[in-house]
Amino acid sequence: MSKESILTSVGIDIGTTTTKLVISYLTLSNVMPGSRIPRIEISNKSLFYASDVRFTPFIDRETIDEVAVRKMISEEYEKAGISPEKIDTGAIIITGESAKKENAEKLVHALAEFSGDFVVATAGPELESIIAGKGSGAEEISRKERCICANVDIGGGTTNIAYYDNGVCIGNACLEVGGRLIEIDLLSHKAKYLAKASRMISEILPCSMILSFSPEAQKQGIEKILAQMVKSVDEVLFSESPSDITRALTVNNDLPKVLPQKIVFSGGVSKYIYQKSINDWWIHGDVGPLLAEAYKNGRAYHTFEVAPGAETIHATVMGAGIHTVNVSGSTVTVKKDCLPIRNIPVVIPEIKNGHYDWIDPSKRFLDSLHNCVALGIPVQDKLDFQSVDELTEMIARQLPQIPSSPKVVVMEQDVAKVIGQGIRKRLGDIDLVCIDGIRAFSGDYIDIGKALSYAEALPVVVKTLIFNGGASF
Amino acid sequence: MSNMEDSIKTIVEQVLKEIAVTEVVKTSTGEAVKDISAKGLTVIDSADVIDLSTIDLQTQLLVPNPKNKDLYMDMKKSTAARIGVWRAGPRPLTETLLRFRADHAVAQDSVMGEISEEDAAKYKMVYVKSPCRDKDEYLTRPELGRVLDEESLKKIEKECEKKPQVQIVVADGLSSKAMEANLPDLYPAMLQGLQSMGIKIGTPIMAKYARVGLMDSIGEAIKPDVCINLIGERPGLGTAESMSAYIVYNPRAGVIESERTVISNIHKGGTPAVEAGAAIATLIKKILDAKASGVNLKI
Repeated sequence: MSKESILTSVGIDIGTTTTKLVISYLTLSNVMPGSRIPRIEISNKSLFYASDVRFTPFIDRETIDEVAVRKMISEEYEKAGISPEKIDTGAIIITGESAKKENAEKLVHALAEFSGDFVVATAGPELESIIAGKGSGAEEISRKERCICANVDIGGGTTNIAYYDNGVCIGNACLEVGGRLIEIDLLSHKAKYLAKASRMISEILPCSMILSFSPEAQKQGIEKILAQMVKSVDEVLFSESPSDITRALTVNNDLPKVLPQKIVFSGGVSKYIYQKSINDWWIHGDVGPLLAEAYKNGRAYHTFEVAPGAETIHATVMGAGIHTVNVSGSTVTVKKDCLPIRNIPVVIPEIKNGHYDWIDPSKRFLDSLHNCVALGIPVQDKLDFQSVDELTEMIARQLPQIPSSPKVVVMEQDVAKVIGQGIRKRLGDIDLVCIDGIRAFSGDYIDIGKALSYAEALPVVVKTLIFNGGASF
Repeated sequence: MSNMEDSIKTIVEQVLKEIAVTEVVKTSTGEAVKDISAKGLTVIDSADVIDLSTIDLQTQLLVPNPKNKDLYMDMKKSTAARIGVWRAGPRPLTETLLRFRADHAVAQDSVMGEISEEDAAKYKMVYVKSPCRDKDEYLTRPELGRVLDEESLKKIEKECEKKPQVQIVVADGLSSKAMEANLPDLYPAMLQGLQSMGIKIGTPIMAKYARVGLMDSIGEAIKPDVCINLIGERPGLGTAESMSAYIVYNPRAGVIESERTVISNIHKGGTPAVEAGAAIATLIKKILDAKASGVNLKI
């Protein structure tokens, strides 16, 4: 019996400024002794290939150059010496300002298909925050030291904040604060472009005529704008009531009202937070190094303990490539031809007369576009056969009334096999995917991959989007 | 001289007095205690002493003023090892020591526990036993626990269905508590699983004073395709309720140990009994399909 298998995982991050790709190997192995029911865990993660940091190609300021991105990815695959068919899993994420471009969503899905069989397409600031925090090591710090650790990922277009409490993301926020919101001409050192957010601040401050200033005066103006941006981030980090500017800069904010003990900076700009100051401010043709300087003068930098991160510019891509995949329990009930399945919303039951009801909440998710939902089973106090059997009866009665194909049932506790067999006893050999070891919340979407060759365990990706508001199970 | 005699006299008198006092206390302990209780002190009755073994060790932290209690509790949750028990000088606390001995006692009780014909009747199983006369003989003569006595052989001949796909055997092994704790949840889950896969089960058997190898003797008598022996594991200080499932394809006299497939650590802190029952059902199906068990089964 082979005790190990290796998944090849890809992470692709298409950001406002740069695009990166990493390929890594995830070793899955049975951590239980031979006589016990296996438990498969990711025992090792190793980086196999990291691409250069390349500029994200745009056709114009509103459109990403799809053809060029695709070419870039296939070039990187070639350089790594690996073909897309060899990729088992991973995630492609379109981040920051790029996520708002017109063709972002279409592009990311097309690229996911092209990049490998089970590559997850994701977009949106919430996931970006979480993924960056995992890649930067903030999640691990919070778990190992059992503290609240904030991750502040500063990219070209946005700053993404995520709070982790003992390894669990408890909230995130995204602001339009980035190193490339002002572009500088490399030769003349004159500002040549102000993005919407920086223009807005320049008008309020006021230094709206900044583009016509002398380079020296311009730098002062830019520093003022950046200081204001960091001030806004601080307001969010300290849960203070936001000023008008902060409100305008905020893309989303559902951070809880707690203060982190530690803070990790990641993203392209963060390199200059951890580094000593540099001589050439305009080295990248943007204000990234100056923004880092502004962060160093900010309140958060001086109030919380600044921890060194595992990654800076690569945090998001590493998070996407390495930290998105989970493994289900090893005793599950799955009809093989049903997999893989992607983007399945998790339905948490409503409680009616002391019983769970999945039928009504399912209706919200099932439409012409979605024909599959996953029934989430809340954590049970009692796991004796009778209680499990009653629960199974409840599920089996409702399953035929929920027009989902296949029927998917997910839970955290290790009872998926017995529940699955109970469902089969009642409903026959239906298309059923019943798995455990999965912690998901209302509003989460999950992807389930094909079973591993030597065990029943399945790779699973949970895309958590909602925090405090979501009902857990 | 007389002075000395006097002083000896007083010493003897004193000693005698003290002896008398001790005896009074000894003979009237009950009354003395009652007197104390009458004065408002409570009697410590044995029922009021907490049973140490009922405390969940994994949620009990004896370290005073821990620096990071949450982290400590997390660590305790992740292991059944006795960590965070604090100390008295270089030695364990009285409570820790007593708990250690209590757990040892539970393990011993579990080994010495007996199963009966009523237990078998509860699950509609045929009750059989090895030729061991008592627990002592069972423990000291391992080879006797691997065969059936004359009476049991006749009983099986008469009452059990022959050549079924699966023969289920439940055995006391080294822990009767394992059976009590796991069978109510494991057995129905396993039956449900087997039934849902259309597997035919023979007449189930419960065996007393039985070791793993008894399944070979039963296999020889019944000739099922597969025999499964659900048996209590040797208890330890962590749990006395752990059960194992030994599964053999083509059970017969002379089965070698490498032909047995085993799932161990079925208990609350290991694989939960319900899920284990379901997993065993799937495993039996695999063994039936592959016509092999143990190291011959490629999974």
